[in-house]
Amino acid sequence: MGPSRRLLGVLATLLSTASASGHHSGAMFDAQKTLTLAGNVKAFQWSNPHCWIQLLVPMQGGTVEWSIEMGSTTELYRSGWRPGTLKPGDKVTVLVHPVRDQSPGGAFVSATGADGKPLGKAGAS
Amino acid sequence: MRSITLSAACLVLIVSAAHADPTSAKRVRAFARLPDWTGLWETEASKVITNPAGRSGSFSRGNLGGHPPYNPEWEQKYQAALSNAATAQQANTFKGCGEGSPRYMRSFPDIMEAPMVFQVVVTPEETLFVMDHGEIRHIYTDGRRHPDKDDLWPTLLGDSVGHWQSHTLIIDTIARIAGPVSIFGTGEVSEHAHFTERVRRLDENTLEDELTIDDPQRFVHPWTMKIHYSRVPDLNRLIPYECEADRNPIVNGNLTIAPR
Repeated sequence: MGPSRRLLGVLATLLSTASASGHHSGAMFDAQKTLTLAGNVKAFQWSNPHCWIQLLVPMQGGTVEWSIEMGSTTELYRSGWRPGTLKPGDKVTVLVHPVRDQSPGGAFVSATGADGKPLGKAGAS
Repeated sequence: MRSITLSAACLVLIVSAAHADPTSAKRVRAFARLPDWTGLWETEASKVITNPAGRSGSFSRGNLGGHPPYNPEWEQKYQAALSNAATAQQANTFKGCGEGSPRYMRSFPDIMEAPMVFQVVVTPEETLFVMDHGEIRHIYTDGRRHPDKDDLWPTLLGDSVGHWQSHTLIIDTIARIAGPVSIFGTGEVSEHAHFTERVRRLDENTLEDELTIDDPQRFVHPWTMKIHYSRVPDLNRLIPYECEADRNPIVNGNLTIAPR
């Protein structure tokens, strides 16, 4: 199969798996599962195609660093986030759809700060 | 002597200004005849990803994701591709930018329906569609024709010229490189495809692009669709989307997350 037909085939089924992230397929995340992660921010990466929260989460008798994928800078900005919304050391609770390969990563769903208030517009990614 | 030189210089400036003024006034009148499309606009897909409901949404198939009116030869290829067992796995690793993403992500007409915010700059000489992903469509409205055959070659955006019918911009695009017309669809065109658009403002907050694609080499009849754009209410500037920090490499056939 030549590249043209192969790509045509790929495109034929994209819609069944395209996520709302705008960057890549959402198939890598398990949208049926939602995990609650409470921890401290190691870094807040304001970048494209995604912003990221690196979260240090006490678990399994130690600390695990999670990579939490968010939307693009424009998407986050329009959702009320700013580059300074999170700083290293901030305590946050984040809901994520975990990646399917069991690695410590997930797609952002929502977050609340130490005061219990939602960060950004509630539910926005 | 110095005084004379200065006076001469002033005279030249005055004469130049007198000559420049009629041209400027003519251009001002030309601007006044054009519609006001200022502000920022976004596609339907862009509205989905900024929906406060978050990631539960999914992209619409869109108009360009529809079933093109293929001739029997291309319809057969289309059906064969649909039944290809490898397509699901390939779709699972789709990326919109970064290593492994399709080149057609940045092509016309895909950018007119992809999840983007854009600005339209209307001048008498050309109209610009400035996309936040970096692409800029130049629609020349100064009366020129497409370049001659020897001066033209296929590109991802093609070559566009236009003219105004009242407040509707008629765009004629040719020389678009052969390949898919959308990352979310199955439509493929040859490099001989001919695109015609009628862009107009329906109301204060809505633009419409009526797009017709004609590709006699692959279609049995022209393919027409209407694409709508909404005014962006919560941005006052076009924020660049630069794919500089892709952390989703494809490893062993799967999308992954790379450590920071």
